[in-house]
Amino acid sequence: MSVYEIRDMAIQIDGKRLVEDVNITVEPGKCTAIIGASGSGKSLTCLTPFGLTPGTASGSIKLDGIELASANAREMHLARSRYTGFVFQQPLTALTPHLTIGKQLQEATSQAGPQRLSRQELALMLERVGLSRADERLDQFPHRLSGGERQRVMIAAAIAHQPKLLIADEPTSALDASLRGEIMALLDGLRVEHGLATLLVSHDIASVENHSDDLIVMDQGRVIESGPTVDIITNPQRDYTKRLIAATPRLTEPAPVLPVVGDILMEAEDTTVLFPRPGWRQGKIEAVADASLSVREGEAVAIVGGSGSGKSTLGRAVAGIGPLTSGTIKWQAELLPERRERSLAMRKLIQPVFQDPVASLNPRWKVGDIVLEPLRNLSPELSSPERNNKLAQALDDVGLGPEYIDRVSTSLSGGQAQRVAIARAIIAGPKMLVLDEATSALDPLVGGAILQLLAELQRAHRLSIIFITHDIASARRLCHRIVVLDAGHVVEMGAMAEVVENPKASVTKLLIEASKR
Amino acid sequence: MRALFNRNHWPLWVVLALVALALILPAILPWTYDQIDWDAVRAPAFSGSHVFGTDEIGRDRLARLAAGTRVTLMVAVAAAMVSLVVGIAWGATAGWMGGKVDEAMMRFVDALYALPFMFIVILLMVIFGRSILLVFVGIGLVEWLTMARVVRGQVMALKQRPFILAAEAAGTPSIKIVLKHVLPNIAGVALAYLMLTVPQVVMIESFLSFLGLGVQEPLTSLGILVKEGADDMDMTPLGLLLPGGLLVLLLICLTIEGERLRDVYS
Amino acid sequence: MTAIPTLLVIILASFFLMRLAPGGPFDGERPLPPETQAALQAAYGLDKPLWEQAWLYVSRLVQGDFGPSLVYRDFTVSELVAQGLPISLTLGGLAILLALLMGISGGLYAAARAGKTADKTIMTLATIATALPTFVTGPALALCFGLWWGLLPVSGTGEGWSWLIMPVVALALPVSGAVAKLTRAGLATVLKQDHIRTARARGLSETTIMFKHGLRPALVPVASYLGPAAAGLLTGAVVVETVFGLPGLGRYFVQGALNRDYPLVLGVVTLYAALIILFNLFADLIYGWLDPRMRDE
Repeated sequence: MSVYEIRDMAIQIDGKRLVEDVNITVEPGKCTAIIGASGSGKSLTCLTPFGLTPGTASGSIKLDGIELASANAREMHLARSRYTGFVFQQPLTALTPHLTIGKQLQEATSQAGPQRLSRQELALMLERVGLSRADERLDQFPHRLSGGERQRVMIAAAIAHQPKLLIADEPTSALDASLRGEIMALLDGLRVEHGLATLLVSHDIASVENHSDDLIVMDQGRVIESGPTVDIITNPQRDYTKRLIAATPRLTEPAPVLPVVGDILMEAEDTTVLFPRPGWRQGKIEAVADASLSVREGEAVAIVGGSGSGKSTLGRAVAGIGPLTSGTIKWQAELLPERRERSLAMRKLIQPVFQDPVASLNPRWKVGDIVLEPLRNLSPELSSPERNNKLAQALDDVGLGPEYIDRVSTSLSGGQAQRVAIARAIIAGPKMLVLDEATSALDPLVGGAILQLLAELQRAHRLSIIFITHDIASARRLCHRIVVLDAGHVVEMGAMAEVVENPKASVTKLLIEASKR
Repeated sequence: MRALFNRNHWPLWVVLALVALALILPAILPWTYDQIDWDAVRAPAFSGSHVFGTDEIGRDRLARLAAGTRVTLMVAVAAAMVSLVVGIAWGATAGWMGGKVDEAMMRFVDALYALPFMFIVILLMVIFGRSILLVFVGIGLVEWLTMARVVRGQVMALKQRPFILAAEAAGTPSIKIVLKHVLPNIAGVALAYLMLTVPQVVMIESFLSFLGLGVQEPLTSLGILVKEGADDMDMTPLGLLLPGGLLVLLLICLTIEGERLRDVYS
Repeated sequence: MTAIPTLLVIILASFFLMRLAPGGPFDGERPLPPETQAALQAAYGLDKPLWEQAWLYVSRLVQGDFGPSLVYRDFTVSELVAQGLPISLTLGGLAILLALLMGISGGLYAAARAGKTADKTIMTLATIATALPTFVTGPALALCFGLWWGLLPVSGTGEGWSWLIMPVVALALPVSGAVAKLTRAGLATVLKQDHIRTARARGLSETTIMFKHGLRPALVPVASYLGPAAAGLLTGAVVVETVFGLPGLGRYFVQGALNRDYPLVLGVVTLYAALIILFNLFADLIYGWLDPRMRDE
């Protein structure tokens, strides 16, 4: 007996059909997961039946006897307030900023009927989702809580009225990697305990495979494949699903064969970065503390950590685009000074690539000018035809044709923009790249392709790489060694295989757990 | 440019038409704005060569309206430019430098915001004499505050964008980063706020002139014309309604266009 | 925290600015004999060094003594201010209340009817209202309701409260337009935010969502506009008091400025600054209530 059953659903917005032929069944105590890239229609599919998007759904959508596709106002109210609970992606913004946790929880409890809970009962609900000092939290405003705590509050509120169906739209994507495992475990536990039918939405196939019974793969508004999760993961039928599974890094896949490494090129010793506190307050924030790190020729080193661990700050100090308070960064025998004191020759050695590909490119510039910017400064001796040759070569290296030279950067997709950013980084012939979450913001298929491209470049140019990420599984496809950062300190470092096999620090264990999902 | 020919941009057309009239009319009208027609004091509209009649001492209303509009708009554009230059320089410096410099510079702006600035401008007018130059310098000095805040916010946001960091890694010098990467990307917003500053300045100039503290005779401005009209409104309401209506029309059109531009860029 | 230093800086700045001015209050049509000049200067303390005058002025000010008026010879500035302040405060207070009432309700109604005719009409009216300078609306209202239709008194305070209507309306109109626009825009932004979707997913009614979850964050821009609005109202009051012949602070300010009556102008500027600073403090409190995140900054 299913709680929620969708048959032949289509979704339209302003007369455009964005989703077609969707069939979903969710049973009590079971979890059905929808995965797909951005724009695949997965969120539309789960939210539109409840009137939470601008779209309209047609077909048959049965929620415990109510037909949502033709529901009147009273039935829709019933469906939202009594039968369904929602957990959204952004815990930061999904709670009302000016109401205390207690008030919002009370509202969530009484949404199904006029039942008011006592303070103790409310606190108990918070404890059940794993929040400590629950009584104190009831009087706090959401902004006082951390992201993980807020998501726990969201979950408590979503099940406060004892719904039959729980819809979780990317519940962990906005959270720090080390928290994702805990939140998914919490959702799993509550599902079993309350017999909740759960509809889970994610962009990442690996993050749902251990938490769902059934899986639905969507692409461009259509269901590509559906069935029991285990069957699809082990034996995908459709080409898209196969590529998706292949593109998604996981720790269980065989370790890649990495290029041989040479002598030490870059050595950072006791790197410390302090930031002044905002405002007139005294004291400093220690973003990176006494971190040491070396990179050999042709070697890729992963800097891994949660958000706020200082991994990006360390990477920027090395790349000469962020502050360095004390410590030394050496290139072979030469000392690399801080930021603006670096000479052009030093700039030529190290180039960065960033997480957000679109923000990495000046929106008013053309691709050709963007890629040529380093060359104009760092190799001024080149003639114009020589420069243009290099430009064509660099674009070719990243798999883009010469027709891209005159494209405006805002017209590029995320994957294309990241390729342009990589072309800019390699055009002046650097020895080392600093990649700051370079694949994290991309859809899995695109991210997989960029990882592939980086591996090829690493071999072809004998590039050294610093790969900054929260995802150990991605890093493992590229990196020889791993450095784990927590609160600015290096807590663990070693060969990739050894650390993954036998992690010592608790952060490393959490991050590996998150990568296993 | 294509937007200019869109029908929705009628306010812009109205403003351009008024500017054109203010520039052309004084050249073709038989009367100048300060010329007295002794035969026609308080003449009604459409009497002889006086299309809108004459005021209480026999000066042609239409000629005075054209002259007043010209002065008002001139002051407005000049003061808006002062605010643009000062605002961008201040805001961009604070935003780009960041840290304590930014903190100090923006506290200064906050403090000035809290001042009853109109009164300070009035004090300046009283003390240094009521010259037209001082009018727009004074107004420009008030109006740059908003521009500085907006520009600083934009620069702060841009500075965090990776393409600025990539430019630094590419060896582009700081000054060139500001000129080639930062300023072009805030031009749109700055232009929008420039457009919104113009009606503000028109309002302030007219206010000062109305109180007798702004533009001085023999020059005239819309504020002075409103004042003259208000003093004589029981005899000839037209003297108040014409410049008042014209001023309001100008303000409305400029505000609508400015807000549109701002909504596009933010 | 910064209120008192700011006030002090304003007082000192305007004090020195006034003293820098060429020409004094005793420059009449006919030059006075030097002895008389000197005697007058001494009587009003104008012969002392500037710093001493400034110090004297500030220390007296703390005791509520603004000094004697130079033009209204028989009055002290404190007496003039005591006369004018209640009128100006009544005008300004009523105007801001009216503006908030009209603006917020108009903005709410427009946001609830987003995209419909009512929304567009209200927003067009609001744009027109913001472009209505008090020195045009004031005389225009007086012309229509006073001179032509004879419904309301054109000048002076008179009996009852009917004399307040036109000045208050003229003052409130531009502010109400701005408040309506800010409320409407604030709601449009907030109603798109995630927490509204959460509330909607709970099955709450649209009215509850609007008032309980949407309105408070939507009013944050209105709160930050309150400070500038107060400054705008005070300047507007200067015109309105002149137009309608009301003996408020603004009239004394203009008279004082035109006659170089230093103590009077200084006194009024000080009061204005204090009022605006007070109002900003008040706005900060409202800010924290509207959005608790502000309290922690």
